[in-house]
Amino acid sequence: MSAAFVMERRPELMSRAAHGDSSSFASLIEPLLDPAFRLAAVMLEDRSAAEDAVQEASIKAWRKIRQLRGDVASLRPWFLSIVANECRMTRRRRWWSVVRMAEVPPESDSTEQTAGAMSTDLRRALIQLAPSDRVPLVLHFYLDLPLDEVARALGVSPSAAKSRIYRAARRLRSNLTLEEVF
Amino acid sequence: MSDKSFRRELNAAMDEMTAAPSPALRDRVRASLAEAAPERRGPFWIAGLVAAAIAVTIIGVLFVANPGNRHPVSVPAGSTGPSPTPTAQPTATAFTCSTNPISASSPSTAVIPIDALRTGAHPGYDRLTVEFAGGEPSSTTAQPQSGTTFTLSPSGQPVTLAGQNGILITLHGTDLHTDYQGPLDIVTGYTGLVEVRRVQDFEGVVQLALGVNGPVCFQASSLTNPTRLVIDVQAG
Repeated sequence: MSAAFVMERRPELMSRAAHGDSSSFASLIEPLLDPAFRLAAVMLEDRSAAEDAVQEASIKAWRKIRQLRGDVASLRPWFLSIVANECRMTRRRRWWSVVRMAEVPPESDSTEQTAGAMSTDLRRALIQLAPSDRVPLVLHFYLDLPLDEVARALGVSPSAAKSRIYRAARRLRSNLTLEEVF
Repeated sequence: MSDKSFRRELNAAMDEMTAAPSPALRDRVRASLAEAAPERRGPFWIAGLVAAAIAVTIIGVLFVANPGNRHPVSVPAGSTGPSPTPTAQPTATAFTCSTNPISASSPSTAVIPIDALRTGAHPGYDRLTVEFAGGEPSSTTAQPQSGTTFTLSPSGQPVTLAGQNGILITLHGTDLHTDYQGPLDIVTGYTGLVEVRRVQDFEGVVQLALGVNGPVCFQASSLTNPTRLVIDVQAG
């Protein structure tokens, strides 16, 4: 199903999803999987974990679909906020960790990953940011969401969202001015 | 630095961290949505009453029986101790796994029902997710074995699953009949994890047998909210 077709049929798909049609819901969120994955990948620094988080977030969104009450315009920020929450959850300490490793990963793998991860100053600074600071940056700069959608995804007012974006950007580049960010 | 160059540099840095999701993500999401059901809505006043009653009960129980927070489950003596949580790997060749038995325990004493069993195929591994309704089981072990013949309990009858080798997951302090309504024998059709079957659901102990193609090579981890046990089996 093409993105344009989905956009055109969103109200109908939303109505069907609200009545329990999982296929309609899947069609609605398919265009959002890519931005959701990118958000999760930046937050978790692990592509496979990011895919898991998006999958889990999709299930949670589906279970809560009636919260939207048919508001198609809120779908994207609402879904991305669920993805961000899922990523926070993933990062928290797990109640148990049980693996006894039979094979230790080769040293060279981790070295290569580390070298790759530190390939640029900005990327290094980004990784050092708290996840709560990364989210507004991803939403605003990377996913190009309008300020009101960033605000809805963060669950704050537009002015608070603007403040959080600016504050996080300044943590990456301390000499940035407000005009350079917005 | 101009806005454009900051934005360009930042986006380039984020590009390095993300790339595109795997083409299988869409199918994974569709499959998991088909298995899950949206929350049902009943009359609001009933829901409100029920929620209030549950909240009062939970608060009372927590206050009287367990005023502190739950503690992380410790790995029993004899094991090498908690290792870093397994990180899902981006490629099949990078899958790092164990061939040894694993175990964990929790201070939980209540019987926490299992409310979902899900399977999924991922690049390099297949996954079984066991979802619990509101807590964790009191103990969990995963025992790899040669062959796929297991013993049904309490009948004692042997049962043979698909695949060449197996893993027996034993969960204490849970059940598979209070909330769970799905199939008790799941034949996946995947390349690694080929079958999941309940072999015991009796007196608060659930055993799940896993049929695996090839040598057993697996990871175990947990996720929260809801609490889930995740078993990843290497797939060819």
